[in-house]
Amino acid sequence: MTSNKTADKPGWGARGDHKILHHDTPRASAPDKVSGAALYSHDRRVPGMLYGRLVCVPVACARIEVDLAPALALEGVLAGVVLRDEETRFMGQAVAAVAAETPELADDGARAVALEFEELPWAVTPEQALLPDAPKVRRRGNRGRVRKIGDAKATEDALAAADFIMTADYSVPVQHHVCLEPHGVLCDWRGGDTATIYASTQVAFGVPGSAADLLGLDEQSVRCIVHHMGGGFGSKFSLDTPGRAACLLSRECKRPVLLMNDRTQEFQTGGNRSGSIQRVRAAANRDGRLMALRIEIDKIGGVGGGAGGPKPFHYRPSASYFEEGSVHTHTDSSRAMRAPGHPQVAFVTESVMDELAYGVGADLLEFRKQNIHSEVWSRQLDRVADEIGWSSHPHRRTPGRGDGWTAEGIGFAISAWGGGGHGGGQATVRITRSGTVTCSIGVQDLGTGIRTLVAMIPAEEFGLQADAVEARIGDTNLPPGVGSGGSVTTGSIAPPVKVASWKARRAFAEHLAPLLDCPVERVMFAAGRVFDGDAPKRGLTWHEACGTLTNEGLQETGDWRGDLQGSGVHGAQAARVRVDLMTGRVQVLKMVCCQDSGLVLNPLTWRSQVKGAMIQGLGQALLEERVLDADLGIGLNAQLQDYKIPGCLEIPELVALIDEEDTREFPIGVGEPPVIPGPGAIAGAVHNACGARVRHLPMTPDKVLDALALLED
Amino acid sequence: MKSFKIYSPASIDEALKLLPHSRGPAAFNAARLVAGGQDLLGEMKDHLVEPEALVNLTGIPGLDTIHCGSSLTLGALVRLVSLERHGELRAGWTAIAEAAESVASPQIRSQATLGGNLCQRPRCWYYRNEHAPCIKKGGHECFAEAGQNKYNAIFGGGPSYIVHPSDLAPALVCLDATVTIAGGRGRRDMLLEDFFTLPNEGSVERENVLKADEAVVGVSVPRLPSPWRSCYLKFRERGSFDFALASVAVALAVEGGAVEGGEIKAAKIVLGGVAPIPWRCTKAENYLVGKPHEPATWRRAAELAVEGAEPLEHNGYKVRLANGLCQKALRHLA
Repeated sequence: MTSNKTADKPGWGARGDHKILHHDTPRASAPDKVSGAALYSHDRRVPGMLYGRLVCVPVACARIEVDLAPALALEGVLAGVVLRDEETRFMGQAVAAVAAETPELADDGARAVALEFEELPWAVTPEQALLPDAPKVRRRGNRGRVRKIGDAKATEDALAAADFIMTADYSVPVQHHVCLEPHGVLCDWRGGDTATIYASTQVAFGVPGSAADLLGLDEQSVRCIVHHMGGGFGSKFSLDTPGRAACLLSRECKRPVLLMNDRTQEFQTGGNRSGSIQRVRAAANRDGRLMALRIEIDKIGGVGGGAGGPKPFHYRPSASYFEEGSVHTHTDSSRAMRAPGHPQVAFVTESVMDELAYGVGADLLEFRKQNIHSEVWSRQLDRVADEIGWSSHPHRRTPGRGDGWTAEGIGFAISAWGGGGHGGGQATVRITRSGTVTCSIGVQDLGTGIRTLVAMIPAEEFGLQADAVEARIGDTNLPPGVGSGGSVTTGSIAPPVKVASWKARRAFAEHLAPLLDCPVERVMFAAGRVFDGDAPKRGLTWHEACGTLTNEGLQETGDWRGDLQGSGVHGAQAARVRVDLMTGRVQVLKMVCCQDSGLVLNPLTWRSQVKGAMIQGLGQALLEERVLDADLGIGLNAQLQDYKIPGCLEIPELVALIDEEDTREFPIGVGEPPVIPGPGAIAGAVHNACGARVRHLPMTPDKVLDALALLED
Repeated sequence: MKSFKIYSPASIDEALKLLPHSRGPAAFNAARLVAGGQDLLGEMKDHLVEPEALVNLTGIPGLDTIHCGSSLTLGALVRLVSLERHGELRAGWTAIAEAAESVASPQIRSQATLGGNLCQRPRCWYYRNEHAPCIKKGGHECFAEAGQNKYNAIFGGGPSYIVHPSDLAPALVCLDATVTIAGGRGRRDMLLEDFFTLPNEGSVERENVLKADEAVVGVSVPRLPSPWRSCYLKFRERGSFDFALASVAVALAVEGGAVEGGEIKAAKIVLGGVAPIPWRCTKAENYLVGKPHEPATWRRAAELAVEGAEPLEHNGYKVRLANGLCQKALRHLA
């Protein structure tokens, strides 16, 4: 009960003492989301609203003239804007937008816009971009500057001296974010002095400034609301083209405009995880030491640069050398996507670890532990190995073969991330005389559960249930939040909420101490009561206590404190798969993740977050890939029928374990790290099951069958 | 989507009168029959066709019945969900029920019809992309032939390399179904196997023999007496809501029932997802007759089933896949 005394500074308290925090607490928005009551930006409708639609160029690269007149001649099409009237730079680039009375009319209007274009030569694939006469994507050419990391000579020497050396090429295709709510906004402006933007964004406070510029208003006059948000994964950090178009159209016709990408636009212009081609030479000794790692990496980030990742990826070779550069293509720029750059290097490095371990006859798990030099990762690997059944698995040093019909295998992979927060957020906690508690901070909830934490933290402080606190978030009229990227939301938002809650409690305790006839530090809040800690029977119910407040109630504001959060997390995952040797189907039977992240404030939403990432990793491993036709310069699978993401039948038993040996008493964000290991672990499991090493993601049946066929040759 | 008129005739004859009498360059805009709409509406939304009018068949009485007797008779408007849930049908014509339940998703199966399933258009990436003027849409080139052809044909291709997307077609062809077609000049019956056309037979823009003013009105399938058994095995990348990379319908009559080791008296094998039509594997069928129902036989039959395949750059795996599916299906019937 000591933790419930009023402390002299805000802190999370000892782990075992929490009543609400560190306990499973259902997501505050769950009933609204399940029942459909939750309004996403896509769902917003306001009186007089028009529907906007972008006009995208159907070729990869063109000199273009846009004529809006045929669209504006259609009845019901009320406005059009030209967004780009020169050369387009990538496949599917938006050049104009229209607004109409109905979504159908907006579609018709967008098709009616006359595009005069002269097709220019393009290069949509890296192979095309690297041809000698390829058109230049960037002025300086299609190969970016090559970054060299490590010691080339020492690495060559180590390769030459090692017992076992391997050489192989790997590739990771472009993956998409596939936000179920596409990019876009409802710009609610009717010609007055103020506007409200309902945005699907990861940074609500970034919206008003950009929107105000386009609408010709002051930033203070524009409000952004993000009550619910259908996924961002790193792709929604600006007003973006749909948002810009909505504001321009709204300005044009002085009416609210809702403009969201359609699904094909979302695929072609809403962002992607850069692809990667990696040429590897690596070596190990028979004693299990990782001796050398040399990788040449081409990042495929379209007109952008693509994302790198840690080099070397956590395992410690005696010598290593990397050459990393971008190959530019006429496709939209890659964007940040959940752990940018990490899954690409993780997949390749973990695959190399397997190939080397088999090469020197080492146990896959022991080989990793030997070359990782980390007690944390070693214990996490042991934990997932136990959970997946490694010690009783028959193929730990050589791949299995199966029974002629199917084969089962296990694979491992690790990850690391930062996840620390930063300042800028501010929270307000208000207690009213009638006993209601609200906690307000303008941050958006990407689906990670921050709304629930904004209620849980004050509830813990006041000895209330989580649902007794109303969390107000997702609104720039509230105290400022921060952008959600880099797993920083919890580390940035939990501290100001904690500080505001602590200050409110302190103030309330000071108010109540005379009434309870005890010193302030003995005033305790627990189980819906307020009492003297030395005489628990002397006290008030929460509502009685609040009834002693004035009509103004009590309100306190808190800022960020660095000592209430931290940074630096590790994780390990294991996957067990069954490979159908007749069809090449990889069925993941089970995935296990063990992850540290300091004090886990809400284990339930933590596990949801980790499992969601494991599913996204599974999708990258087995299904997801952008397919283009190089000759036609078009996307071939830019809708959800053909760009396949995991459904219920693909999702295995998922086990998300908190690494309880991590005793850090502060929270750290966990959004990104668990997405990293999936492809490496699953590829390892496929290899372990049947000897087929699939070096190019995704591991679709065609590639598994081809790899199996190689084993017979 | 372009606006269109909709007619709801009360009889099939009335419906047919609303169709154009011949196919011509105007086919893109011509009136179309619609029942479940699961394929056509998608095509219209993607601007692959923009008909001036739709002729809605769903109000026509008598076309949605299932009758199990000495043969199975099915109206063209039978919903796929009815096929998968019909106990007597499943017992006697198992491959048909299994094919029906493998289609898309429950929502689609509750809307989609038998006739629509047999007449659906290809799923080839290029055909479905408005910006790829391919040979199926009146262009001059099959872009899949030298392009991204992972999902395309390994048998019967050229000049188009689509695969027929229907799951019911291989199952029905396997069980020797007959299709009834109504047209301006009366009705005709034909083996369903002869209904589907290769791209080098007839028009490359169509997948079957239907004339512009004709409609599929029903299908009948003979009852295969004991000891015949059948199954349909579909392989797709995603566990649901996906088209077949390859599939196989198999019917076997094994001496003394479906006992492993028993003598195979007769066999029917039809592959799906590998050719522009359901692909009957006559050599494998003939081979199986008189052989013991055992793994060595299955392996040889599967090799014969895929003999003569001509894979493209990215679909060589389908040879191995179809082979594997044949073995699995034969084992399934043991």
